[in-house]
Amino acid sequence: MVALERRLQLAGKLLIAGLLVEAICLLWSRPFAFILLVGLGGFLCAAGIAVYLYSLVSARDLNPKPMQ
Amino acid sequence: MHFPTILLIALIILTALLIAVFIARPAMTATRAGKILAFVALFLLPLLCMAMGFTSELERSKTTSFCLSCHIMESHGRSLYVDEPGFLAAAHFQNHRVPADEACYTCHTNYAMFGGFRAKMHGLKHVYVQYLGKPPAPEAIKLYDSYNNRECLHCHEARSFEEGAVHTADPGLLAAVKANKMSCLSSGCHQVVHNVGELGKAKFWKGAQ
Repeated sequence: MVALERRLQLAGKLLIAGLLVEAICLLWSRPFAFILLVGLGGFLCAAGIAVYLYSLVSARDLNPKPMQ
Repeated sequence: MHFPTILLIALIILTALLIAVFIARPAMTATRAGKILAFVALFLLPLLCMAMGFTSELERSKTTSFCLSCHIMESHGRSLYVDEPGFLAAAHFQNHRVPADEACYTCHTNYAMFGGFRAKMHGLKHVYVQYLGKPPAPEAIKLYDSYNNRECLHCHEARSFEEGAVHTADPGLLAAVKANKMSCLSSGCHQVVHNVGELGKAKFWKGAQ
């Protein structure tokens, strides 16, 4: 498995964790849920998106084109 | 559960399932279609879910039930049901002078620029004190700043208020109230608001409970 795929998997795992936190917070109507959604859920999703975007910009370095 | 919340949770589940496909088979991104689908699943949809979730929670944080979900606010919630017209908060709540489902927020937000933002910052401070600080006894809870007449006049600055016999009895009163030099609440006029320390001997209205 190439590094790009590993990064995509990491991004996916972070995003799923963030979305899971968000779903739980939406079902749990308490002030603490609001903090959890913004703090933990937001952080995990932002981290997942950042890893995904980084995997895109670093894709060329990870998979260099063979020399002609 | 509200219908928009159900829809949002359905969207979150769909997004998570799509992401799971990419976790199981990351090689899918080798094709053009896979790349586009990955962009939707790993970027657009999570961003949409977060924005919708944040908006939903922000709207929910305005509700009376949200404010009263903290144990410390229980007596303030009870004060809304006092069967005594002199209790300002109760009179407003019971007669729907404020929306009953957003009663706390309607009076305790700030009707100036960035008022909603300031109200949210105060809310965050409440949560901090609740979980990490030392919460005061309900009867010792005080406002961060003295209550501004602007919040009352947001609804009450009307002809009936300006021409009311009590408000026009003293020619300087109206100007002082509008300039926030004389408080609506602490000037001996409408000083009974929540008064949670006096709830022990109060009668309660059971109409809407």
